[in-house]
Amino acid sequence: MSMHKCGLFYTSYRAEDGLFRSKFQKSCLVLFFAVLLVCPQFLNSYVMSVLNLILIAVIGAVSLNLLTGICGQMSLGHGAFVGMGAYGAAILSNLGLPFFPALLGGGFVAALVGMVFGIPSLRLKGIYLAISTLAAQLILEYVFLHASGLTGGANGLPVNAPHVLGYAFDSDARIFYLILFVTTLCVLAVSNVARTRPGRAFVAIRDYYQSAENVGVNLFAFKLQAFGLSSFLAGIAGGLWAHYTMYITPEQFSMGLSISYLAMIIIGGMGSVLGSIFGAIFITLLPELLNLLISSLGGLAPDLSAIMIPLKEGVFGLMLVLFLIFEPEGLVRQWRLTKAYWKLYPFAY
Amino acid sequence: MKKHLVLILLVLMASLGSASAAYKVGILSDLTGGTASVSPPYGEGVKACIAYVNENGGIAGQPIEFIQVDYAYNVQQALAAYKRFLSLGIVALQGWGTGDTEALVKFVAQDKIPVFSASYSAHLMDPAKAPYNFTSAPDYSTQGRAGLKYLREAWTQPRPPKLAFVFPDNPYGTAPIPAMKEYAKELGFEVVGQENVDLKAIDATPQLLSLKKAGPDFIWTGGTTPSTAVIMKDAQKLGMTSTFLTNIWSSDEDLFKMAGDAANGHFGLQGAVIYGQDVLGMGLIRKLTKDTPQMTHYIRGFVSMLVMAEGMKMAAAKGEVTGESIKAALETMRDFDPMGLAPAVSFFPDDHRPSMSVNVCTFKNGKLEFVKTVALERKKEWLGH
Repeated sequence: MSMHKCGLFYTSYRAEDGLFRSKFQKSCLVLFFAVLLVCPQFLNSYVMSVLNLILIAVIGAVSLNLLTGICGQMSLGHGAFVGMGAYGAAILSNLGLPFFPALLGGGFVAALVGMVFGIPSLRLKGIYLAISTLAAQLILEYVFLHASGLTGGANGLPVNAPHVLGYAFDSDARIFYLILFVTTLCVLAVSNVARTRPGRAFVAIRDYYQSAENVGVNLFAFKLQAFGLSSFLAGIAGGLWAHYTMYITPEQFSMGLSISYLAMIIIGGMGSVLGSIFGAIFITLLPELLNLLISSLGGLAPDLSAIMIPLKEGVFGLMLVLFLIFEPEGLVRQWRLTKAYWKLYPFAY
Repeated sequence: MKKHLVLILLVLMASLGSASAAYKVGILSDLTGGTASVSPPYGEGVKACIAYVNENGGIAGQPIEFIQVDYAYNVQQALAAYKRFLSLGIVALQGWGTGDTEALVKFVAQDKIPVFSASYSAHLMDPAKAPYNFTSAPDYSTQGRAGLKYLREAWTQPRPPKLAFVFPDNPYGTAPIPAMKEYAKELGFEVVGQENVDLKAIDATPQLLSLKKAGPDFIWTGGTTPSTAVIMKDAQKLGMTSTFLTNIWSSDEDLFKMAGDAANGHFGLQGAVIYGQDVLGMGLIRKLTKDTPQMTHYIRGFVSMLVMAEGMKMAAAKGEVTGESIKAALETMRDFDPMGLAPAVSFFPDDHRPSMSVNVCTFKNGKLEFVKTVALERKKEWLGH
């Protein structure tokens, strides 16, 4: 007769701190990736493009979550940091650099700029920091538009589809593997950073900066690190976006992008990596699903869809508000509740 | 709940899977975003033209089927919408704004899908940069040059006319400015200043005050109709006597609703005729719209689709209708007259400027009125600039 433990028990701190704590979790993850890896064979380019957009959004959301959710530093300029990485990677790639060095280069450019704009965070907190990062957004948008020698200005900047080791990633199905690979690395990186000394320092700063300083956390250094790391990953997201769309213009990295990243981490659940992933999926999918719903309603009742289309934005906004009211801790809490429910099913007590 | 979900999924799959022998055209519209006041009439024009073409024999006997998607002026959503069109098997696309058209330039070239957009950026006219992009109206720079030419020819005083520019500091606003400044110099304008007024501005007094000192005779405004209304009202308030020249998106029939009599006497540039204008195709437009006046954007949308349908017919006459054959057919199009609804259209393999003619209109007594069609020379060095 085999015996099963009725919970997770650890015999070392290292085991308790693990990312994937049970065999079941690990096998689920393997299965999840296996499904992801084969899905380009079965799905059309529309679904693949939505998956690609989700994966890029996941990096953006996870990186903003590191800065805002984990370190507590509000940023309204994340879209511009993504843009910085996009332009950096695009320019390097157009100079003839291979894809991965160009992507990393874009990330470093974004990190540098992010750290510069993170300097005010030493003196500014909360809403004041938000406004100063908003300034970063506006300044960078201005640079994208007016540094036309580098960025192409209003005409935008064409980029070639990525080639890695002679293999062209020029279709949705192909580039999906590339984006999935980079996204996995980024998500793993943030999950791991959260478990390290800097990660714990970030949380300490978020929870109460004075206590953090009292126990020896160098506020300025760690805040800058958070800005740098978060912007680096944002830059990676931008570099992927640039190579995916193959054409970037300043309009793509506007205020709206920054807001939608914020919406993702709030809807998903602040401070949780998994939550950011859920948020990115939700915010990217919602308009698509609404569009599909409306167009299918159009087939049944054309009059209804004519009324529904203008309501779409309203429905989108309403869903966000309802979410904040009824599930302020985000999608990740629902996920945990569901998991807890099924854990002991049907013997829940 | 589960039953409902299954039902919705079934409906979705049914609507996605319905295949028929028709040429599919995607319509990318902004029905809920930042340009939702001008995109719907344009889209209606496109759809009216598809209905008209289908009633008159379609494309070599086959109808055109359209799929319209609202992308809320969001580039990501436009990208997903385009991919959805692609998976549904479109042969051509009716696009819309600057951001989405540019984000799709490389995709449409790769997938060989010709696009007619309502973004008239000059670089989209250059097939070396955007091989599958077409428009039915000339680029912003050509439009601006034509407007300047008209003003210069109407100028009677001995001194050179003074010109100033007011535009939003975004890609759309800044795009034609260098070309126009250069041409203004060539025509003998004196450029006396430039100011930025945001598209969402509710006050333009500070910018206009500094321009007032320079005393321009003419002021170029390239924004949207609401921002133009703000600028014109503030200019009237400040007692300025300058005449405004507004670009294709900066003024339309709605300007009087927002600016009142401050709009009187100013000029607007358009790529199509105004509803009710005495041209060959107006009878048809009146019939299709049941005599309900439409904005000029509606007519431009109609023309855009009419030119595309003509390209499809030309492709069908030669063989199979595919994105590639439509592009090739369009590039042999010479002086195609869209029933007088817009200047005649020609495309060349190395030049996608549809025409070099622009309609100058004026605002008089609460109405947009046609003044003159100004034609420019098709200069090589102006392509893409």
